Amino acid sequence: MPSHVPHSSGLQRLIAQLAPLLIVCAVVFALPVLLNNDFLLNKVARYLVLGILTVSLGLSWGFGGILNLGQAMSFGLGSYAMAMALKLKTVPVHTGASGLPDFMVWNNVQHLPWFWEPFRSLSFAIAAGLIVPALVAAALGWFMFRGRVTGVYVSIITLATMVVINLVIIDQQSYTGGFNGITDLAQLEIFGVAFDAYGRATYYLVAGCVLLSLLVAFAFTRTKAGLIVQAIRDHESRVRYFGYDVALYQIFVFALSAAIAGLAGMLYTVVMEFASPTFLGVQLSLSVVVWCAVGGRQSLVGAFLGAVLVAGMQGALSESAAFLETWTLVMGALFVLVVLFLPKGLAGLAQVVLRWIVQRRHAAGRGVAQGVGQTEGST
Amino acid sequence: MDQFIEQIVTGLSIGSILLLVALGLSIIYGSMGIINLAHGEFVMLGAYAAWVFHTYLGLGLLASLVPIFLVVAAFGWVIERYVLSLLNNRPLDTILATWGVGIMLQQAVRLMVGSELRYVQLPPALSDSMSVFGIPVSSYRVFLFVVSIALFGATWLLMNRTTVGMKLRAIIQDRSVAASFGINAKRVYALTFAYGAGLAGLAGALVSPLKSVSPDMGTGYVVDAFMVVVLGGVQSLAGTVASAFILGELSGGIAFLQNDTVAKAIVLLAIVVLIRFRPEGLFTARVRA
Amino acid sequence: MSSHLDLRDVSVSFNGFKALNALNMSVRKGELRCLIGPNGAGKTTALDIICGKVKPSAGTVSFDGTALQDLEEYEIARTGVGRKFQVPSVFRELSVSENLDVARARRTSVLGNLRWNIGNAGRADVERLAELVGLTDQLDRPAAYLSHGQTQWLEIGMLVAQDAELILMDEPTAGMTAQETRKTAELFARLKGKHTLIVVEHDMGFVKAIGDVISVMHMGQMLAEGTAAEVEAHPEVRRAYLGSGGISHA
Repeated sequence: MPSHVPHSSGLQRLIAQLAPLLIVCAVVFALPVLLNNDFLLNKVARYLVLGILTVSLGLSWGFGGILNLGQAMSFGLGSYAMAMALKLKTVPVHTGASGLPDFMVWNNVQHLPWFWEPFRSLSFAIAAGLIVPALVAAALGWFMFRGRVTGVYVSIITLATMVVINLVIIDQQSYTGGFNGITDLAQLEIFGVAFDAYGRATYYLVAGCVLLSLLVAFAFTRTKAGLIVQAIRDHESRVRYFGYDVALYQIFVFALSAAIAGLAGMLYTVVMEFASPTFLGVQLSLSVVVWCAVGGRQSLVGAFLGAVLVAGMQGALSESAAFLETWTLVMGALFVLVVLFLPKGLAGLAQVVLRWIVQRRHAAGRGVAQGVGQTEGST
Repeated sequence: MDQFIEQIVTGLSIGSILLLVALGLSIIYGSMGIINLAHGEFVMLGAYAAWVFHTYLGLGLLASLVPIFLVVAAFGWVIERYVLSLLNNRPLDTILATWGVGIMLQQAVRLMVGSELRYVQLPPALSDSMSVFGIPVSSYRVFLFVVSIALFGATWLLMNRTTVGMKLRAIIQDRSVAASFGINAKRVYALTFAYGAGLAGLAGALVSPLKSVSPDMGTGYVVDAFMVVVLGGVQSLAGTVASAFILGELSGGIAFLQNDTVAKAIVLLAIVVLIRFRPEGLFTARVRA
Repeated sequence: MSSHLDLRDVSVSFNGFKALNALNMSVRKGELRCLIGPNGAGKTTALDIICGKVKPSAGTVSFDGTALQDLEEYEIARTGVGRKFQVPSVFRELSVSENLDVARARRTSVLGNLRWNIGNAGRADVERLAELVGLTDQLDRPAAYLSHGQTQWLEIGMLVAQDAELILMDEPTAGMTAQETRKTAELFARLKGKHTLIVVEHDMGFVKAIGDVISVMHMGQMLAEGTAAEVEAHPEVRRAYLGSGGISHA
């Protein structure tokens, strides 16, 4: 390879890496034109949100080597932040004093608890939906990575922490809506635009966030810090001997990933019109791992597509119980096969295929160039 | 005072079930370093096997224990041979693979026998109750306690007094050196995994009369078993026993003082803190690599 | 010139085994020091102590006046200490150029590294390094595909990239061909003076080719120091190596 044209090659590589991302986002934005069905559009928006969540896991797992089995924790926290704000915006049907949420009235709560108070402001709620997951993750990350907890133990701690928060939410019914979650929400309204769950506006909001989070994640992986995070994944102690404080990098990527998951959680509340403890449940959290693995943990676009395709497939088949059950079996098998034979998921497979095609074309091209005037059969 | 003793006895009973379920996981994790997330499904398979033997063959629970062990061990053997042995140096991926296998097993059972709850009869000989320290306790629970201790003893003997156990310990020390002395690591691993799976199957069969049998019953068990192993320390069978009974007494005690949810949350938090500060468990000596 | 690196009465033990037993060593700035000794003498442990991988149970390590023994590994690295490991340690899934880029640790803070390197500021630097270690045509390949010798070279290149004042090399020529070893010796000769090097080696030919001063360790202690000829003539050294056919065959 000629090494004397670094300028163009760096830019070319950037474009090549961005192309799949932009193509996928273009398709996402174009979909409402083809799909003239609000109900279906809402479903697609749901899968796109799960896609964002999976991208966030890809960032910490695929790039940072941190297998967070509790990724849904950040998602759930974001989702509750949004739900709390929207709950306080409802025209109260069963209000007690000062527009108390209905479930609080049922549980004989007299005053709005202090931690609900600031959620009267939507801007606060949106900021909290990003910052709270990031802070919780940073604290948990500090706790783990300062103590050099690695590998399997990170997975256990993240999973257990999520279950604890989940249990607390279910247990504190009078403040969190408990098992039922927070339902009967007002519509999200930003700058006069109302985001009806089944409206186009909501779809484009989600699509915009897909683009945003993919770009943010991509931009991070292209920085030197992103490179160092990948180096930590490959050989943690080696990085330390170059003078980098490994824990800080891990905490950073862990918190960034949590913030993106929090964004996805907020959108999920808007799309689903409620928040529920299942949003930070073990089931969802492990499903995200499957989507990420199938799509390709080291490819942001791959992880995104993995979620959209697999969750979408599952949604499409869920019309019939028998189909769904068979599908779960097939899913399990598919997942095991991917883990065994495609550690880089479908994205890895696509890369191999693409490289093979390019090489063939190169070979063919060279064959033609060399074979001028020779027999035609050589290509 | 009576209430206190009752609490202790309940704790012992919970502890013996925990030990039953955790023993297989402990063997597999301690010797192969594999966190087997399909462990709960092995427990579930054992419970269903008990139900099938009873319903279709008319075999009593006690009579079917040995075949159940063999059947579930065979499952374990196949899974080790065709899935896990392909993941030699990828410990994180074994979690994912065993989890996928767990989903498949669960779903396969659901498709074959449906998701309604099934019930297994108590062995008639053990259906009465007896007095322990003046407290009436179901005979079956006493039986479970004895069996769990016996299985622990058998496992300890197997690991420390037989050639297979010795070979396994050699492989744990250094796989390549063991191999150069002619030990077939692949075969020993497959046998170990099969043995652990068989133990899980036995656990499932033994607890099946106490709880209803359903395809997703394993999920709870794998979490419990895992906590026992983490608390007890990898590669320490005695630690597993100690931690099973400590956790049994603790969860009995906390549940008595608080509600179940809080008890669970507190135990989980304790585990998190333990992993952070003593990843090698409470009952193993610190060893420098 | 005063001493640059100073180990004073450093001891460390693993499960009762004294790997280092009151070790003393000082190295001057710009020196190339070879560290030799029979197996189990504690050579690698001595490097581990300096770079912070192992904490001493007693004794002090000072580098340029800074006490190292209580610092974290990354803090030690920031004082200007680089380390090459016996088992070549590179980032296998990253390309050769990315490996070298990570090693160029000009800034170490997370936020300081949050800038895009779409430009080619460091590219020329990386290419110069790659040329130095003969990996120019491998720049875009993942390090996992390199041969053993190339991997050794890459890690050496990474240390040069790090531009540490003090470079610790643990058996840098292990697994290299005679020709590669000679190239390594040439490279070390070039590094000497600008950097201070401590090299643990078994290959006496290599040691003689590069070293000014040779330190001989035995049972966790410093046995002798001097030129190759002095060390070889040293009676204690002869005794330590007795039975292994003398120092040249170690």
